[in-house]
Amino acid sequence: MSDLGTTSDTAPMLRAALRLIGWSGLGLIAVAVALSDFLAHAPAGAAGIGPMLAAPSSAYPLGTDLLGRDVLSETLHGLSVTVGHALVAALVAIAVGGLLGAVAARLPRLAGLTLRGTMGVLAAIPALLLAILAIGLSARLYAPLAAGLAAAPLAFVRAYDRVEGQSGSTYAEYARATGIAVATLLRRDLTYEFRGTLATVAARALAAVTIILSTVSFLGFGATPPARDLGLMIAAAKANFFHAWWAGAFPAFALIVLILCARLAAGLDEGERP
Amino acid sequence: MLNFAARQTGRFALGLLGAMVLAAAISAIAAPRAPGLGPFLQAAGLRLWAFVQFDFGKSAISGFAAIDELGRRVPATLALVLAGGGVALIVGAPLGLLFGAGPIRRAAAPLMQIVTAAPVFCAGLALAYGAVHLLHWPVSVNAAAAASEPIFSRSPQALEFAALPVLTVGLAGAAAVQLALRRAATESARETFRAGLKHMGLSALEIEWVYAVPQVIAGLLASAGEIVLALLSAAVVAEWVFHRAGAADLFVKSVALQDWNMTALILFIFAGLAFLADFLGRVGAYALVNEGKT
Repeated sequence: MSDLGTTSDTAPMLRAALRLIGWSGLGLIAVAVALSDFLAHAPAGAAGIGPMLAAPSSAYPLGTDLLGRDVLSETLHGLSVTVGHALVAALVAIAVGGLLGAVAARLPRLAGLTLRGTMGVLAAIPALLLAILAIGLSARLYAPLAAGLAAAPLAFVRAYDRVEGQSGSTYAEYARATGIAVATLLRRDLTYEFRGTLATVAARALAAVTIILSTVSFLGFGATPPARDLGLMIAAAKANFFHAWWAGAFPAFALIVLILCARLAAGLDEGERP
Repeated sequence: MLNFAARQTGRFALGLLGAMVLAAAISAIAAPRAPGLGPFLQAAGLRLWAFVQFDFGKSAISGFAAIDELGRRVPATLALVLAGGGVALIVGAPLGLLFGAGPIRRAAAPLMQIVTAAPVFCAGLALAYGAVHLLHWPVSVNAAAAASEPIFSRSPQALEFAALPVLTVGLAGAAAVQLALRRAATESARETFRAGLKHMGLSALEIEWVYAVPQVIAGLLASAGEIVLALLSAAVVAEWVFHRAGAADLFVKSVALQDWNMTALILFIFAGLAFLADFLGRVGAYALVNEGKT
């Protein structure tokens, strides 16, 4: 609660270093995902590769699961599925949330407020429940789309409020007074909204939708075998978790590292929500 | 104050109405109707009218009235959310206040990122593993052994069954609480009144205690809706992992079995809780800050 003025320039440097670590981590994950078929010892879902529930050893560095699948290979394949789904979901969240929110703020007032109110109601429901509902209404195949849509209301409300707040600004008054078209003003708003921050927004959305996607998969609403994601792998390992921790712990570690890298890349500051 | 309270009441009422319309639309999926948008909207209108008359339809799973079925499940979830909320305040408030202060805030930001990067189900499983192997508690994540044990009970075994879901929900809530406090502390630290008060001769402690602390607590109250959302979301996962028969668990099963009446009612109740917490928090925050000024 003390003043911010006491902090030195180390804070921005630390933040920049953390962002660099985050992006480097995401880069390494992207390489691992791209080479997952090459790096993995076994194809996705290949059972009977080793004995059942073998502990980590030189032959099986991360052990094997109940069906004798190599946990290292499965984790790499699971990471690949998780990242693929999360990228789609993040795109949907940015488009339907951030982009549409900014556009809605420039619509005629009644239309904008109606959309803002609708999204406000959806934002009052936990995103996890919205994602489960959307999958229940469609199919598990659409889990990435559902996760993106579930994360969108909060992003929509934030973008709408931010752009709406700019409507009363001096530049907006001048722009209106000089007869600049609404479309031009909107394009300018969108440029200011996303210029220089698109990577940050994307990383933030990636972190948020990865949590939603893995949780819905853990609950049985997401990925379907044989294309198992990390959430589904952890759910499958739950049955033997207390005596064969490795089958669930390593996929969980990979998931946490992915989310952490995305958060660090987004440069989340103190007092900022993911 | 009255104007503010009236505005917030209107916002709360509109929010509830919106949640009811959404619930009616979901419930209409289960209603017998002809295909097409027109019949669907008509069915949604009829369901909305029925909702206004407190008729929430029947559960497709049990055949009982949805409101009765929910009445049996909601107390368990509310108890879990309340107990988790208590843990969230006990753990999150000191963390938020400690990490909201000066240089520690800088060091805490990345640390909190690491801690909060774990999804709730991972945290729940890790807690369960620790309880089994370190405390030798009779925890199960694969059987419904704990389903009937109430959260608030004096039995030691019930406490062992209840502790893990409560801790799981509490830790998720604590992340939200400390975040709200740190955010409020950051905003308070940027206030310009500090320099003025210092020139007036007030000590740093007086400035913090009389002006900054109410602002930070008001910030926490204003985030009550977000905190309740975090608690409810965590309750869904905790009830699933630890097999507790609550409303959140019922929601997952209702969607899986396409029981849309039940799904609609649970969503409405959860949204209502979030709106209520948001409303009370905002009014409380406003009253607290204005009380401090007068």
